[in-house]
Amino acid sequence: MRLRLVNTSAFRLSLIYALVFSIISACAFSFIYWKSANEIRAQTDSQLRAETTNLLGLYQNGQISALTQEMNQLNTDGRSKFFLYALLNRSQRDLIKEIEPNKELKVGDSIFATLPLKTVITVPEADKIQLNPSDKAQLNQDARVLLTLLPDGYQIMVGSDLYERQALLKRILNVIISLILVVFTLALIVGALIGYSVLRRINRVRQTAGEIVQGDLSQRMQVTGKNDEFDRLNIVVNTMLERIEKLMQTMHQVTDNLAHDLRNPLNRLRNRIEVSLIQNLDKDGYQKVQQESIQDIDDIILTFNSLLNIAQAESGKHDRDWRPIDLKPFLEELYELYSIAAEEAGLNFTCNVDGSFIMLGENQLLAQTFTNILDNAIKFTPKGGEIIIDTHFSKSTAKIEISDTGLGIPEDKREEVFERFTRLDNARSKPGNGLGLSLVRAVVERHRGSIELQDNKPGLQVLLEFNAHIVKHKKATLN
Amino acid sequence: MHMLLIEDDTQTASFIQKGLAESGHVADHADNGEDGYHMALTGQYDVLIIDRMLPKKSGLEVIKDLREQKIKTPVLILSALGDVDDRVEGLRAGGDDYLVKPYAFSELLARLQALVRRASPAQELTLLRVHDLQMDLIKHSVTRAGQIIHLQPREFTLLEYLMRHADEVVTRTMLLENVWDYHFDPQTNVIDVHISRLRSKIDRDFTPPLLHTVRGAGYSLHAS
Repeated sequence: MRLRLVNTSAFRLSLIYALVFSIISACAFSFIYWKSANEIRAQTDSQLRAETTNLLGLYQNGQISALTQEMNQLNTDGRSKFFLYALLNRSQRDLIKEIEPNKELKVGDSIFATLPLKTVITVPEADKIQLNPSDKAQLNQDARVLLTLLPDGYQIMVGSDLYERQALLKRILNVIISLILVVFTLALIVGALIGYSVLRRINRVRQTAGEIVQGDLSQRMQVTGKNDEFDRLNIVVNTMLERIEKLMQTMHQVTDNLAHDLRNPLNRLRNRIEVSLIQNLDKDGYQKVQQESIQDIDDIILTFNSLLNIAQAESGKHDRDWRPIDLKPFLEELYELYSIAAEEAGLNFTCNVDGSFIMLGENQLLAQTFTNILDNAIKFTPKGGEIIIDTHFSKSTAKIEISDTGLGIPEDKREEVFERFTRLDNARSKPGNGLGLSLVRAVVERHRGSIELQDNKPGLQVLLEFNAHIVKHKKATLN
Repeated sequence: MHMLLIEDDTQTASFIQKGLAESGHVADHADNGEDGYHMALTGQYDVLIIDRMLPKKSGLEVIKDLREQKIKTPVLILSALGDVDDRVEGLRAGGDDYLVKPYAFSELLARLQALVRRASPAQELTLLRVHDLQMDLIKHSVTRAGQIIHLQPREFTLLEYLMRHADEVVTRTMLLENVWDYHFDPQTNVIDVHISRLRSKIDRDFTPPLLHTVRGAGYSLHAS
């Protein structure tokens, strides 16, 4: 399924923005239009009023005849392009009554009206107006008139052709509409572009995710280096993928090793029992076989548990059980547990812990780590040798050295011994499954510590280092 | 001891029943949580052995419901889940001990005996006695046949645990858990050397020997 542009939220969002923006600008422009229309009308009206005042002045001075004469003069004059004048006798036509049938006007009162030009120029006296041919086409247009009541049933009409003004307004309106369209189109285009760029990046993420789903766990999300939201998201996702990949590898390795390492003892066990069936053994003989079989099974269980422990330490399953641990009593208790075993093995075992050091960790796993190291030390140090636990605690770090005077580990094997099931040649005669140091490293790394093997000349020195302030759960930050 | 075994695997159940019968105990069997719960409600058992994963009603639910019904019979949980979390979860639900599969039958038996002993009254002992070995818990002193025996603090705790479980078999794992609070098995025989050190102090100069090694199982403190 390909993501379509119109389906992206970025595009929808820009569409909404475009609409909202267009509506807002439409409102603003309408207001401007309405204001200009009002302004133009007010201007026309004040011109009409001024013209009427002039005529009324004439009327008061020279009576009707002067007025008529002036009006004829004005109507035939070139000036009448915008103004037309008429003196109406009520007996001929009562325009005021036609417009405002219910209003009683006193002499000198005026009313404004908007009438079709056609009506206006058929009014008596107004037909003398010289209309241009082009004006004739505009007979359907409106004219604005001011009617004033005179005594003796006369009415003065002063009118103005609204054509030009309306044309202006129409032009303004057209401009406004085109502006709104331009705004809308631009907003839409910008929205589409943003949507498309977002879409492209999402598509890339989707593609990568698809490949991962197909089984290629080595794929990673592209990080552009812009450090934008996508980059940060991709970085977090990549971190997550790395973790998943590592866990998957571990799981594969554990399963492979488990299968491999359990096959041999299972095979041995099966052979032992099978052969005992063929042999004609007495009661003691069978009991011996049974005891050996149980020992085989116990070895298998031990290997199995060790592998599970390593896997759990590596997966961080115990993280939430972490508690503060004071290394002083912790180490002293371990020393106490092992001191007699060391003594029995003819070893000189000492433990020097200066001060205390609190770290967060899983008590049992850590204890098991140290017992593994101590087990090895006792196992591989010949009689008369020495085992020393030394500590250097500072405010932030704890260094623990466990040294022995045993066989040691050759330099080129010091990495290899951490691998599962690694058993060095000189260790094959001793009991063990080659998992002890694997667990040690898994637990130490889980506690964000470090482990190093060094030459104790002779013997082995295990250097462990832990930090005091361990973040309980390392969070992928999204700041 | 009269026990109830709630375990859905009939073969496992029959092995356990046979093993318990050999050791002189009677175990009833329920193959699902629901039936097991109703049987346990009668309160006639000395100890309950409950598998965690059961049909109809999980082991933990059975225990929780029993505890709500004020049935205080000690419970040993059997489980294929061996994590620290799982163990804590099981004990929090009301279980008294937790044994991870696969386990040794001797381990199961030893733990059952320890549970029943723990549940019996007269806990507030101030004086423990096995034959002529005596431990005064207030004075923190140990004597055998009237002679004072000097013990290291850990040796004292170890002996106290053994004396509280006198005549029972105590496994190495139980000692490691209860005396040292370590819930894993070290590969070296650290427990054995502690026991032999203790034995040299309480047994070497006296007869009869009290601290016995039980082959393939652990240790037992008793007179004969």
